Amino acid sequence: MDIKFERIEGTSNRYYGLLIVLAAMAAVGLFATWWVMQKGIWVTGMTMRVPWGLQIVMAVYYIGLSAGSLVISGLYGVFGKQEYKPFARIAVYIAMLFLIAGLLSILTDQGRMDRVFVEPFVYFNLQSMFSINPLLYIGHILICIVYLWALFKEKKKFTTVVATTAFGWAFCVHSGTGAIFGFGARMLYESPLLPASFVAAAMASGTALMILVIVGLFKATKRHVDDSLVVWLGRFLAVCLLVVVYFLVVENAYRAYVVELRQAAIYYLFGGFHSVLFWLGLMIIGCAIPMVILFNRKTGKSVRWIVLASALVVFGVLCERYVIVLPGLTHPPELFPSLEITASVVQEGIASYTVSLAEILQALGVMGAIGFLFAWGLRALPLLPTEARAQG
Amino acid sequence: MLGASCAYAFRFLADSYPGWAGDDIAASGCRWGMVIDINKCRPGCTACLDACREENNVSFHGDDRWDVHWIRKVNIKSKIDSNVPEKPMILLCNHCDKPPCAQVCPVQATYKRDDGIVIVDHHRCIGCRYCMIACPYNARQFNFKDNEDWPNQEHPKRSHGVAEACTLCAHRLDQGRPPACVEACREVGAGALYVGDLNDPDSDVSRFISTVAVKRLREDLGTEPKVYYIGL
Repeated sequence: MDIKFERIEGTSNRYYGLLIVLAAMAAVGLFATWWVMQKGIWVTGMTMRVPWGLQIVMAVYYIGLSAGSLVISGLYGVFGKQEYKPFARIAVYIAMLFLIAGLLSILTDQGRMDRVFVEPFVYFNLQSMFSINPLLYIGHILICIVYLWALFKEKKKFTTVVATTAFGWAFCVHSGTGAIFGFGARMLYESPLLPASFVAAAMASGTALMILVIVGLFKATKRHVDDSLVVWLGRFLAVCLLVVVYFLVVENAYRAYVVELRQAAIYYLFGGFHSVLFWLGLMIIGCAIPMVILFNRKTGKSVRWIVLASALVVFGVLCERYVIVLPGLTHPPELFPSLEITASVVQEGIASYTVSLAEILQALGVMGAIGFLFAWGLRALPLLPTEARAQG
Repeated sequence: MLGASCAYAFRFLADSYPGWAGDDIAASGCRWGMVIDINKCRPGCTACLDACREENNVSFHGDDRWDVHWIRKVNIKSKIDSNVPEKPMILLCNHCDKPPCAQVCPVQATYKRDDGIVIVDHHRCIGCRYCMIACPYNARQFNFKDNEDWPNQEHPKRSHGVAEACTLCAHRLDQGRPPACVEACREVGAGALYVGDLNDPDSDVSRFISTVAVKRLREDLGTEPKVYYIGL
């Protein structure tokens, strides 16, 4: 099957309007970041008790989307499924952009952004997941660039080699991201399961995002895509969701079963806003409803329903990232297992956190920058096929 | 290359600052530790907190969300026996022998000196706050805002964007003086704080540890804290 790839024309008013909106979003984010740098991180609403906020949530979310998108490109690159070749280039490009988005989110979250480009490389600490991960992320971006080059040049054997490398690397990237939390000393972080569950959620969200991109982009640019290709991706997404739910059940059952973690488990499951996100956002909207849609014989074969399920999964995994990062911080570490603190000069016990305007603007800025690069890439690079048809 | 050169130059400047985090002029063979007798600690007394703030230019804004506390005073009560009266006590960096904060620091800005004091190089810290996540004692602090006050001009104040914690007044110990909190507790408070060399069997802290029932916070975590509590 000979597939032709091409650039979009990108001369319509709609295209230029989109570029302007995305550039404006990026500019707003840049301004918000400058403001945070000038005033200090307190303007983001983060506090001594909750030192990580929305930017870290978004960073791990983007990195998950990246690793998951790369898996879709691997259907052609690693497993040789020719019918998915039309999506390989766009999947790799998106994987690269989301990794950049993750890095941008982490960068803009640092207290001393000016030191980030030198110190971590000069004083590298092999024991820190925060040292290891940037290497994984930068490596991932470089591999994506080589992968994209191999796809552009239609070098089949080399594509298989680099795709397999990228596939394995993506697993390392997300396991490493999960380990930042899983290897932490907080009650709701510490879990060897976390890296693996991060990978599962990444696969689900990445696949869901790719379904949205493929269907949306092909429709917007008036390209044909066979329904059967989307239906198969929908089934793959359903299986990923099963794995996500399995990990969530095991993780929470363990916390609820072990006596010393039970209080933390109760807080996690029924302790406030994050619990609403867990049950409503993640379990019901992000997992249960999409699974019903995707496993149902009728709706599971309808592209519209699959798109709806994918949108719900993308939202659900965002909630999952929130409930991984924040409750672990708002829940206090146990300083005295047999004692309680009745008074203090600082805030003890359960801490509070609310997403602030500065954080939202920073997150929008990253989305704008990445969206701009995506739109620009469609015009500058031959990423999209003329059509996508299932073989035979 | 240019970046690396700049970083080394920066490091050189940081190290040349007397008494600051970069130097390792600690006495060889010494291993500093602290004993806190909470039976002596008086309710309402804030002598150690005030002295620490004055000595180390610790950032204070009047809002506990962003106020830096190298020492924090709390009241504790038994969860098991309600007849045991409430007690005041203080919490600070435990200067762990196996500090998780240093382990996770991506730029090795947090490190343990030869004398066991865990310290932050503020000229290197990138402000990622991973150390705050890793510390099981909630002892790590972050400068969310610039500190307007500079009561002790001999000691630097930190700009916003860097992490910090109690240094056990390393600059004073290096000069043979006790930490500000220990001195204040002795002079104004009840004399509940002791600092000394854990490797010296004749030091106050070693004698307490060998003769009195002492406890360390969350010993089960294996971080080997060097702050011991009497009466906990």
